[in-house]
Amino acid sequence: MSNVVPRRVRAVLAGISWPVYVLLYTPLALVAFYSFAPEPNGVGHSLHAYNVLFHDGDVFVALQRSLILALGSATVSTMLGTLLGYGLCRFRNANARGFLANIPSLVIYTPIIMPSLVFGISELIFFNFVHRTTGLLGAGLDTMVIAHITFQVPYVALTVFARLAGLDPNLFEASNDLYADGVKSFFYLIVPVVQPAIIGGFMLGITLSIDDFTISFFTAGPGSVTLPIYIYSAIARKGISPEINALGTLMIGTIILFAVVHFLITKGREGADEYSA
Amino acid sequence: MRTQVQNEARRQGLRLWITSGPGLFWIVLFLLIPSAVLLGIGFFSADDYGSPILPVTLQPFQQVAGYSLLGWDDGNIIIFLRSLAQAGIATAVTALLSYPLVFFIMTRPAALRPLLLLFIVLPSWTNQVVRTYAWLELLGPNAPVSWLAHALHIVPPDLGIAPGTFAVTTGLAYNYLPYMMVPLYASAEKLDWTLVEAGRDLYASGLRLFWHTVFPQTLPGLLSGVIFVAIPAFGDYVVPQLLGGDRALMIGSLIANQFTETPDWPYGAALTIIMLVFTGAGLVAFRVLTRKLGGAGEATI
Amino acid sequence: MSDTAARGAISLSGITRIFSGMIPAVDRIDLEIRAGEFFTLLGPSGCGKTTLLRMIAGFETPDAGTILISGREMQDVPAHQRAVNTVFQSYALFPHLNVAENIGFGLRMRGVKKPERKKRVDAMMELLQIGAFAGRNAGQLSGGQRQRVALARALVNEPEVVLLDEPLSALDAKLRAELQIELLRMQKRLGMTFIFVTHDQHEALVMSDRIGVMSRGQLQQVGPVLDVYEKPRNVFVAEFLGLSNIWPMTAAGGGVGQTPIGPLQITAPMGAERQVMIRPEKIWLYNDSQAPRDRPNVFSGVVREAIYMGASTQYRVELTGGAIVLALDTNNAAAERSWRAGEAVAVELKPDNIMLIEG
Repeated sequence: MSNVVPRRVRAVLAGISWPVYVLLYTPLALVAFYSFAPEPNGVGHSLHAYNVLFHDGDVFVALQRSLILALGSATVSTMLGTLLGYGLCRFRNANARGFLANIPSLVIYTPIIMPSLVFGISELIFFNFVHRTTGLLGAGLDTMVIAHITFQVPYVALTVFARLAGLDPNLFEASNDLYADGVKSFFYLIVPVVQPAIIGGFMLGITLSIDDFTISFFTAGPGSVTLPIYIYSAIARKGISPEINALGTLMIGTIILFAVVHFLITKGREGADEYSA
Repeated sequence: MRTQVQNEARRQGLRLWITSGPGLFWIVLFLLIPSAVLLGIGFFSADDYGSPILPVTLQPFQQVAGYSLLGWDDGNIIIFLRSLAQAGIATAVTALLSYPLVFFIMTRPAALRPLLLLFIVLPSWTNQVVRTYAWLELLGPNAPVSWLAHALHIVPPDLGIAPGTFAVTTGLAYNYLPYMMVPLYASAEKLDWTLVEAGRDLYASGLRLFWHTVFPQTLPGLLSGVIFVAIPAFGDYVVPQLLGGDRALMIGSLIANQFTETPDWPYGAALTIIMLVFTGAGLVAFRVLTRKLGGAGEATI
Repeated sequence: MSDTAARGAISLSGITRIFSGMIPAVDRIDLEIRAGEFFTLLGPSGCGKTTLLRMIAGFETPDAGTILISGREMQDVPAHQRAVNTVFQSYALFPHLNVAENIGFGLRMRGVKKPERKKRVDAMMELLQIGAFAGRNAGQLSGGQRQRVALARALVNEPEVVLLDEPLSALDAKLRAELQIELLRMQKRLGMTFIFVTHDQHEALVMSDRIGVMSRGQLQQVGPVLDVYEKPRNVFVAEFLGLSNIWPMTAAGGGVGQTPIGPLQITAPMGAERQVMIRPEKIWLYNDSQAPRDRPNVFSGVVREAIYMGASTQYRVELTGGAIVLALDTNNAAAERSWRAGEAVAVELKPDNIMLIEG
């Protein structure tokens, strides 16, 4: 394909693209740079901000909450989403028309398309109402988990669905043909084949959870500060500060580390993973 | 007597409900119903604390249009227009950046491509707040960029580029670039390059060649990207809050305020409805556009 | 008469399958397939042959009729409980398993223990010469190799019946030809009943003991290959299997029928049929000047097209009178037995070779 694009054009493309790559990471690099700010009344670089950070109990609690939120919601959403995607792929009558048949599409795409703000505020109102009438689900970690599950399920379902839809439809029949009934087929055929998608869906759920702010913000209660909310409040109160830079740098670093590890793992698994036969 | 076929159909239906039911039910209960409630509140009056009470009225919509006790104020209209403009500009910027990026990656060896794409998507895996904070730092009053802008007399001293309109645009474009890149890249991967050769064979070259042979094939990706960028950008909350300040108020901040700082739920709900109407109209317009331009279908449920 | 209760014998009675209120895909089919035979269902796409096969496999349930496999009623038995295995057109190899695991899947599902399983899988891989790929995944195999794995996966279970749904259609011509012979050899060796579905008449001719020609959900003719080819019962079968010349005929008494090409003397006793058919290879060609005018059914004409096909040449001959005859001649060494367009020839249709068929 490279012979189709002339040399000059390629040079121009490179000339535009490399600066963009730099620009993409400049802000993040700056955060890291400023995190090594000198101590108050000092000069040069230091780890002062990190020191303060590690001694800040609130940060660790917030981190803990973020992890519980992410892992908890991803686990539930993976289960719900996998079954959802499987069911829609396997048992839906492809020829059904009319309103009733389109409901699953509507239901699945709404959380994806809906702006986070509307999502968050809807939850706020809903939980507020439920709490006032039943006393359950006061704003807090549990309401956040519910909201996170809700926006993750469609992504997991679509991931699993896409993987299943790409399979040879004869595979289900082949499994039946070879003496495996419905349940056995599920465990010996579906689950192993769909496993990468399930894991992918789970990781996607975690990523979405960690990346979210708006929905978390509106479903959080006074006692359920997670990491993004902690940072946001800190910015609102103090503006720019080295501690936030330190925290931000650590978060960025962790993500980059995970991305690299993930990439290496999938690279290593490349040869064994073929899904058409 | 029911035939085998009917029996089988029933069993399929049951299996469908057992597997898909819980997930669908969850979403209906925890999103669709709450959203419906939110939209409903837009038709109620507000009490002193901003909570919705009867009677049912269209007053919140009048508030949206700018009518209040003090007469008509064009503030809201300006906010809507500004939000539309920001979303539009951010979309345009991401599109203009994505095309060279995508084709740059396509000209690299195949082994390198996933890595290059990963590097573009990577920043979006960090938290929104951290990303936006980074720009706040980069464009704030004490940052080198602001010193440069000051030297060029773009901004007065002691003020940075952020908070401000330009900062918001930048923040939006930065945050949503991957959302444009990924669908566009997916489209580009499926490109039929033989069309380019056919084009050359028929005497086209340069920009015209690109426009007639390559660009139309990327349209499905482009339109997906437009939807994935414009809609969230229009209603974004974090970026205008942190990078916008008071001078660049967008619809997201306005709506959020009605539920946090200065509660007025019906007003906020009415604003949301109008925002969704705009969004919906935009979506419909783009679907029509996609169909007219012959967009391809993805693996949809 | 055949033993319908023998292992691997299939007996279909009144099998019907209608898809959502449309014309039946399979229309009241009665069919007996003998144990151990290689039976081919031949027909154009959409004729219902695959649907019929799937009903035997258990992937579809007939709306009416009974299916007996080895003498037992099976139409209500789910697929995973039938001793029938299928080789799919797309091979349907499990992507997450390697070759050996794919082949052993059915055994595993039936509870065969590992050592026994390994023995049988190894033996099958040996038989089909795929032992070298045992550890590979489906994606790393070529089309022909996948086909063999799919076959091995079915055969290792020693089913009563093996069903093959156009398994060779995705392969190139040379590989197809090779595998056709191999499949045939395999079947003869193992003695299982093979039911083979295809739309390719050459495939059907090469491999089958008996053929069932299907069209629009119904069986047009069933019988040994030779019979179906030489004595087709109707126009569809005559035209689907091989080339043919077909003309309408009105009986004129005395063993003669009037056709557009002229009066034909026909050996076969005339009944209600209104069409005559003769295979192109049965037509004799002569230089017009050397035509044996003393024999019946000899007509003069001019070659309009001579299509050289390597081992034979096809001639389109326009007779004086306008009718077109298709003749097929083997290219022997003798030079005077080949003609070019524009040359005058004569055709002879021997009375024994003219078939009477239904419209």
